[in-house]
Amino acid sequence: MKVLEFNNVHRAYKRGVDVLQGVTFCLEAGEVVGLLGKNGAGKTTLIRIAMGMIEAQQGGVRIFGLDPRKDALEVKRRVGYVSEDQILPEFLSVAEVIRIHRGLFPTWDDGLERRLRERFELSPKARIKFLSKGQARQIALLCAVAHRPELLLLDEPAGGLDPSARREFLETSIQLLNETGTTILFSSHHMTDVERMAGRIVLIHEGRLLIDDVLDDLREKYSLVLVPHGPEGRRQQLQGLKGCLSVRDQGDALHAIFAYEPGRCRSVVERELGIPNAYCASIALEDMFIELVGGRS
Amino acid sequence: MQLHVNPSDELPIYRQIMHQITDAIAGGRMAPGEQLPSHRDLAGQLVIAPLTVKKAYDELERLGLIVTQRGRGTFVCERLPAVEPAQRRERLRDAAQRLLRQAALSTVPFEEVLSLLEEIQKGME
Repeated sequence: MKVLEFNNVHRAYKRGVDVLQGVTFCLEAGEVVGLLGKNGAGKTTLIRIAMGMIEAQQGGVRIFGLDPRKDALEVKRRVGYVSEDQILPEFLSVAEVIRIHRGLFPTWDDGLERRLRERFELSPKARIKFLSKGQARQIALLCAVAHRPELLLLDEPAGGLDPSARREFLETSIQLLNETGTTILFSSHHMTDVERMAGRIVLIHEGRLLIDDVLDDLREKYSLVLVPHGPEGRRQQLQGLKGCLSVRDQGDALHAIFAYEPGRCRSVVERELGIPNAYCASIALEDMFIELVGGRS
Repeated sequence: MQLHVNPSDELPIYRQIMHQITDAIAGGRMAPGEQLPSHRDLAGQLVIAPLTVKKAYDELERLGLIVTQRGRGTFVCERLPAVEPAQRRERLRDAAQRLLRQAALSTVPFEEVLSLLEEIQKGME
């Protein structure tokens, strides 16, 4: 069952400055997808379009087959949302914020609320104003999940948190995944968190989808290939090879990413460029990210 | 069960789990018939997605190392599969190549590599 569908989504903020230029992908029930991209790549825009907070100028989005703007109430009741810059009303207490959310959601789970409150050691009387960033994010998470949403949209949920608060957030998310198998779309710059949580990776770059693949396949079926600069035009030659996704200059070498496993890359490079035994290796997500989008203008 | 995963390792996480469980079985730290944690419990302990653990368990089951019995749990197989001789060689090939390359770099002659292997072998007995 498709839980969330982006279909050819376009969005520009200023005329001629496109943030999203036709993004299409979908999440099946139970999938956990990591949304990656540089700052300004359009991750937040995409998540806000899914929430119905802004509208796509072309194309559209469906959640549970519904339109998040036309069927806003129904969609919001079944979705949880946490973002890095979420603002909770400063003058309220923890208990009041929770009470407001409880009132909005018919499916609110008091047991889960209590468990999370105890786990986070949140004092009900504490004013939001005096909470640390990590505690405020914990309340946001509590309010986003206590109604047991079918879909969680997390926009850089651990942004600005220290490593132990981030881990705590991750542990809670995984516990929830274990209990309910919620579908999750989350954006993050912490690649190790993405590797822990995600089953699939969607990478957007310059407004378009650059990668949409199973995380383990990215690790096992893609490679980094290093070749010396060599004769004029080698860069273009590499770029023209089938399976080559990107090439960039890095010191003495050209770095290329191929959608093939290392052994196959080695034989392609030997056959096409006449370079035997080129360095070809699987790489972790962080390096993959840098290779694919870090070295581009 | 003592497992540890490192997300920035060159191997994907499900492979790391597979290797560590295989090593534990091969090294006698896990006995035939011993029960493994449920994939959800292990996911919670390792702070990784439950589906990743499930994938590792499914692969190990396919290889005949563990077996899941509905409603009872997952166990190390009572009878472990004999590894095909060809497969056995293939598994060692990578490690052997790395060793020899390292030896070549440090200009250690092949005979010395062999005597080193014998020395280590004696130490393990």
